[in-house]
Amino acid sequence: MAVAAGALISLPGWAKGWTAETVQLSHNFLSRSQDDLLADIVETIIPATDTPGAKALNVHQFIQKIVVDCYDPSAQDTFRKGLTTVDELAGKTFGKSFAEGNTTQRTTLLTQLSQSTDPAQKEFYSMVKGLTIRGYMNSEYVMTNLTHYQMIPGHYYGCVPVPTKAVSQTK
Amino acid sequence: MANLNIDAQAQNTYDAIVIGSGISGGWAAKELTGKGLRTLVLERGRDVRHVTDYPTTMMQPWEFEHRGQLTREVKDANPIVSKCYAFYEGTQQFFVKDAEHPYIQEKPFDWIRGYQVGGKSLLWARQTQRWSDFDFQGPARDGYSVDWPIRYADLAPWYSYVERFAGITGNKDGIDTLPDGEFLPPHEWNCVEKHFQKAVAGKYKDRHVIMGRAAHITKPQPIHLQQGRAQCQHRTICERGCPFGGYFSSNASTIPWAAKTGKMTLRPNSVVHSIIYDEKKGRATGVRIVDANTKQMQEFYARIIFLNAAALNSNLVLLNSTSNRFPNGLGNDSGVLGKYVAFHNYRAGISAQFDGNLDSTTDGRRPNGPYIPRFRNVYKQETDFLRGYAAGFSAGRISRSNQDAIGADLKQNLLNPELGGWHVGSHMMGETIPKETNYVALDSSLKDPFGIPQLKIAIAYDDNDDKMVKDYQEQMTEMFTAAGFTNIRVRDDHRNPGLDIHEMGGARMGKDPKTSMLNKWNQLHAVKNVFVTDGACMTSTSTQNPSLTYMALTARAADYAVKAMKKGEV
Ligand SMILES: Cc1cc2nc3c(=O)[nH]c(=O)nc-3n(C[C@H](O)[C@H](O)[C@H](O)COP(=O)(O)OP(=O)(O)OC[C@H]3O[C@@H](n4cnc5c(N)ncnc54)[C@H](O)[C@@H]3O)c2cc1C
Ligand code: SF4
Repeated sequence: MAVAAGALISLPGWAKGWTAETVQLSHNFLSRSQDDLLADIVETIIPATDTPGAKALNVHQFIQKIVVDCYDPSAQDTFRKGLTTVDELAGKTFGKSFAEGNTTQRTTLLTQLSQSTDPAQKEFYSMVKGLTIRGYMNSEYVMTNLTHYQMIPGHYYGCVPVPTKAVSQTK
Repeated sequence: MANLNIDAQAQNTYDAIVIGSGISGGWAAKELTGKGLRTLVLERGRDVRHVTDYPTTMMQPWEFEHRGQLTREVKDANPIVSKCYAFYEGTQQFFVKDAEHPYIQEKPFDWIRGYQVGGKSLLWARQTQRWSDFDFQGPARDGYSVDWPIRYADLAPWYSYVERFAGITGNKDGIDTLPDGEFLPPHEWNCVEKHFQKAVAGKYKDRHVIMGRAAHITKPQPIHLQQGRAQCQHRTICERGCPFGGYFSSNASTIPWAAKTGKMTLRPNSVVHSIIYDEKKGRATGVRIVDANTKQMQEFYARIIFLNAAALNSNLVLLNSTSNRFPNGLGNDSGVLGKYVAFHNYRAGISAQFDGNLDSTTDGRRPNGPYIPRFRNVYKQETDFLRGYAAGFSAGRISRSNQDAIGADLKQNLLNPELGGWHVGSHMMGETIPKETNYVALDSSLKDPFGIPQLKIAIAYDDNDDKMVKDYQEQMTEMFTAAGFTNIRVRDDHRNPGLDIHEMGGARMGKDPKTSMLNKWNQLHAVKNVFVTDGACMTSTSTQNPSLTYMALTARAADYAVKAMKKGEV
């Protein structure tokens, strides 16, 4: 396997077209403060408990990468406007920035967004929540420590009893 | 000067030339070098060496920049290949990008290609069923297309020959529409698949649900270990290239085997322009290429030539090989070259739920699934459409978690998913009928980046296909209902032809040189030292996957070619 691992580090010339060098995140997509805000939002959706939350796992950066590189301009627009809305709503509902709100205030605000009559706000929330879940669940931390992903199962058993414990509780 | 030219010519002369290094070309290379021929393998794409040139094969899911998803830029630039289910962040390096190799869609056709050493053998889904006599007799029976010049018996020993080397997993099922082969241990069933198998067997005498036959090494034999291949590890990320050689690819199997003989010269980045025909000698003398790096033309010479550029590209090469003797393409006295192209129809599918067996589930992954061999119009014509369809089938359970909450509760739910019920699904694999109106031709003005005329493709579904889609949906609904499946949904995704990646024909085999291009040895009727053994040679398409048959035909033709060459016949 050493051979294959080595090949990953020095990609052959033809593969360079698809690596970080060429498919780079455009850095000015979100301002520093918006980036912080997004980090607070993902942390509200999946907070640190006895394990790290979404922010510590850089889920907010994963989200930006996906939105910038994979989404079409109208979805990007919804995303950017949504962030502005969050800060405005925070000012209106609890008189502080989202970052300064406590957990209850932040949670309430996001719940409001999810039930908003404004389709753009709803869409923003479901986009961010969906991506937060995706980024968290397939982060290295969660996949190695909590859900115990294995690249090589080495087998397929067709009929086993349903396990009584979730994977995250097996180790 | 004269001497120099002779030297250069000698240097560029081989016993055999193989055009293309994919599934069929790899076999041609292996067989010809194995029989002692100095063989030049010309491949238009770059070299891809086993293991070291699989850049994503060991990457963990989180190591992908977009966790597998395609970027907008890639999708926008590649509307055609992006439709292929196997094209994603981890595999895109092995697919042809739309803009790089243009072609003309006279009718919508999604042409999915892999241009590199190994061709599409790196990407395929590895389903490998033999064809049966019902398939080889089809055209003679209903009068569409022409009669095959061979029958199952001609190919049976060659199927065994290639199966043993490639490594095919499966059960001996004793079904006459699907002859048994030389199998490694089968993959396992799950309980709902078993349940369906029983339900179908209980209701129909002539319908079967069997475990798929696939090119995976479930138990390595000495011949596989000699190739440096190991047992399949059930990773199911095969399309990235398998470092174990767990599935058959040219890269893991036939090409390195050919290289070991010391007789093979592999020349990547060599785009074959045409086959050279010498009118005085009345034979093909070599091949003209455009070097992909320098764009220079160059010639190579050999006694015999195997054309294995994949079905449509082999048509292109023949069409572009013109001379006074063959103004309409090499060997094209009949005028059928490029015509009677056919394909498979994967348009329809069905899905449902099953509420039983909730106390059991599966563990691990399986790079294969159950298969339903053709059961329509087998012994007699019983429907209002010709020929039939096979189907894939599988069942599984997915974990789900309640995602309504937010915060610590959500996190808790995500990490403690509940097992959902069983989902079952199937897709059709229909045979289409070769028609003169389904053709490929060269465009008279547009050229590709190598100065070669672009291929113009005019291929479409017909009424027969629509009727077959409908019948598949009805029959599968009946079978699903019999098995107690609920919430049954059928679909027809109306995909374009091509996306099924089983295009065949154009240089079909046949007994009569007036109506076919190739004889029963895959030899051009009119140019005996040129052999075409990829999908271009197929007279009809069957419902089975085609690649195993290309392998068997190639090994058989190579055996014949070398014998004929030794006897001085070619
Ligand atoms: C996603 C996917 C799933 C599939 N699943 C299955 C399956 O389950 N079962 C099955 O049987 N088949 C399957 N197939 C189809 C299978 O891959 C093809 O049938 C098979 O690879 C065809 O073999 P070939 O040798 O004709 O062509 P290829 O394997 O495509 O090789 C042709 C080679 O010729 C080269 N070439 C082309 N033109 C030139 C030229 N002018 N000069 C020099 N070289 C040239 C190409 O670069 C390529 O390397 C699948 C394909 C794909 C992409
Ligand atoms: S399933 Fe088998 S063949 Fe496919 S990548 Fe895994 S080990 Fe290789």
